[in-house]
Amino acid sequence: MQEKIRLCHLYPDLLNLYGDRGNILALVRRASLRGIDFEVEAVSLGEHFDPDRYDMFFLGGGQDAEQNILRNDFVSVKGDKIKEAVAKNKVFLCICGGYQMMGHYYEEHDGHRIECLGAINIWTVGKKSRFIGDTVYSCGLFPDSTTLYGFENHSGRTYLGEGVKPLAKVLTGAGNNGEDGMEGAVFKNVYCTYSHGSFLPKNPEMTDYLIKTALEVQKGGPFQLSPLTTEVEDFARNALPTCKKP
Amino acid sequence: MMNIRAGFAVGTAKGISKVLRLLGRGATTLPGRIALKIYPQILSLLSKDQKIIVLTGTNGKTTTTHMAAGILKSLGFTVITNVSGANLATGIATTMIEGIRIRTRAEKAGKKTVYVIEADEAAFSKVNGQLQPQVCVVTNLFRDQLDRYGELVHTQAFIAKGLDAVTARILLDADDSLVAALERGREDRVVFFGMDEGSMTRNTVTNPLKSGLSETTSDASYCSFCQTKYEYRARSFGHLGAFYCPGCGYSRKEPDFLVSYSTQTAAGSLSESSDDLGPADVGFPVTLAYSGESVTIALPIPGLHNFYNTAAAVAACVALGEKCGEPGLSFANCAKAIEFVQPAFGRMEKIPIGAKSLCLLLVKNPVGLERALSFVSQASDAGGMYLLLNSNDADGKDVSWIWDVDFESRSYPEKVFVSGERYGDMYLRLAYAGIDKDRMHALPMTGCQDLLDEALAKCEDGKCLYILPNYTAMLALREILVRRYHLKDFWK
Repeated sequence: MQEKIRLCHLYPDLLNLYGDRGNILALVRRASLRGIDFEVEAVSLGEHFDPDRYDMFFLGGGQDAEQNILRNDFVSVKGDKIKEAVAKNKVFLCICGGYQMMGHYYEEHDGHRIECLGAINIWTVGKKSRFIGDTVYSCGLFPDSTTLYGFENHSGRTYLGEGVKPLAKVLTGAGNNGEDGMEGAVFKNVYCTYSHGSFLPKNPEMTDYLIKTALEVQKGGPFQLSPLTTEVEDFARNALPTCKKP
Repeated sequence: MMNIRAGFAVGTAKGISKVLRLLGRGATTLPGRIALKIYPQILSLLSKDQKIIVLTGTNGKTTTTHMAAGILKSLGFTVITNVSGANLATGIATTMIEGIRIRTRAEKAGKKTVYVIEADEAAFSKVNGQLQPQVCVVTNLFRDQLDRYGELVHTQAFIAKGLDAVTARILLDADDSLVAALERGREDRVVFFGMDEGSMTRNTVTNPLKSGLSETTSDASYCSFCQTKYEYRARSFGHLGAFYCPGCGYSRKEPDFLVSYSTQTAAGSLSESSDDLGPADVGFPVTLAYSGESVTIALPIPGLHNFYNTAAAVAACVALGEKCGEPGLSFANCAKAIEFVQPAFGRMEKIPIGAKSLCLLLVKNPVGLERALSFVSQASDAGGMYLLLNSNDADGKDVSWIWDVDFESRSYPEKVFVSGERYGDMYLRLAYAGIDKDRMHALPMTGCQDLLDEALAKCEDGKCLYILPNYTAMLALREILVRRYHLKDFWK
């Protein structure tokens, strides 16, 4: 029987910055190349939301003005259903603004606090200076490759509370807050990062890990993905200015 | 009368620009930078009592500036304009200083002078009040390099500030909801330009799309005033189109300057699989209309986005004529004059190289790249495509925007070449768009010249190699072209 994964792309018309849709292209590509049917559905502002339909959820980043438009819908209208999906171990990938909105609050640099969903125990404090640049992380999620590559562009400093683990250790770049040397967050199957755009395309191990996890949750047991080359991804990673040449 | 300090500033700047020219380097910003240091009000001084058009917006301003300058020149005016994207205060000051010489010479010859100035959006808010133009043009607002400019609403606020510092007539793109929103509070000064609804490529009548009228990525999906999602009667590209807000009723106004063309004619000359019509040929007939008059012209520079640039340039010249009482700048004269305009630096510039040619299309942001890809995929003479992606300060450090561009729904020339400092990122983008790795050849920026030679060698006779660089990649490429293929330097 053909495997099938259905992904819910939340607010794609509002959270569409910094190439975050590249992550979905990566999931579609590496699932399809293995013969796994991968379906993407968009659910936006004011639209009907049935989380049980989906194995995965994607939340990208947007401009401040646009994040303000959707915040109420996200927190007050869809919020409980999202928390329920988190509790059911559904796979989430949340990038930058999406990462921040999953936490308790975002405090602006003037001290004004914007309440967020609070689905995971993290919070963010905005600063005027931005962290911009290529990043390299060391990640302990998978056995083979432990290096992840990204690009960060954020002014928020995110802090993790109890029960939430960082996604990776920072080798190059600022990470969550530029203080503790950690990047991203993991809570149940919610994976968060500040790495934009080409995060999954440049990190096929992460892409595969998310696909595998989604199928395991769906089946309620272990699942082995068929092997798949990372040739084009390796070429791109080797070309990065941050890549250590052998 | 110039005071001593101002005179010193101008004199120093002129001297520096002369030295730089003798050294063979383009003096596009340094003289102005120094003059502004010595005398910060230099722009007010030099623009006093002059005829001036200032253009801003995220895309198309260089082309529109170039077109307006071309119209005015062919109608007998002497034009002073900034070249090659020197559109910050320093570049504008340099242009004004070098303009003194040009203006004096024009006066002696009994010719009238017009300044056509392109201003970066942030620079616009600062310099517009000093320049006191008669006409301002806002081309459009698309997301640009976000690490440099910040969010679009901030850009919009910058432009509003610049508009409020002057009494000029304001020309706005009616089809861009972010630009058109600038009309509020400035109604008596605003004139709109835009595209005829029936000519928009994605409309419900002549070219309905299976997937409806939605876009992969829109920079303005929600109403500027009440944050309800816009609906569209028709769309041209990006967020441009005949929008209306079901919430508060804000909607696109009928443009005063209207550009239209026959979608039937266009469809005939293009591939049938393409959803994205937009004539890729020079000389395509388009009709411009204003105030009950209409003129059909041959489009001087191809591409759907140039329909807007054409309308904006003609409108700017006509508006200047009306404001300054220049009967020579009639609508019919200006519209006809645009047929003789050649492409600007790096914008659809076609350069013959032996039996082949190459065409440079500068791509700086998602909608620019989107337009360029659309163009190349439709061009019948495409003999290869060469993309170069750099990430210097002038390009923006963040190249993640290439993932916001729809590469997937188009087909490309068989041979694809990739270079630039971020050649790996671009290679991966193309690979993920389904271009087989055997069709691609990618080299780091140090190999960009070799790759150019190879791409040209693989391009068949009679065909054109399309090159899509971002800003600093284009400058580097331009130097190679000057050196190896003996092209003329851009500042000459």
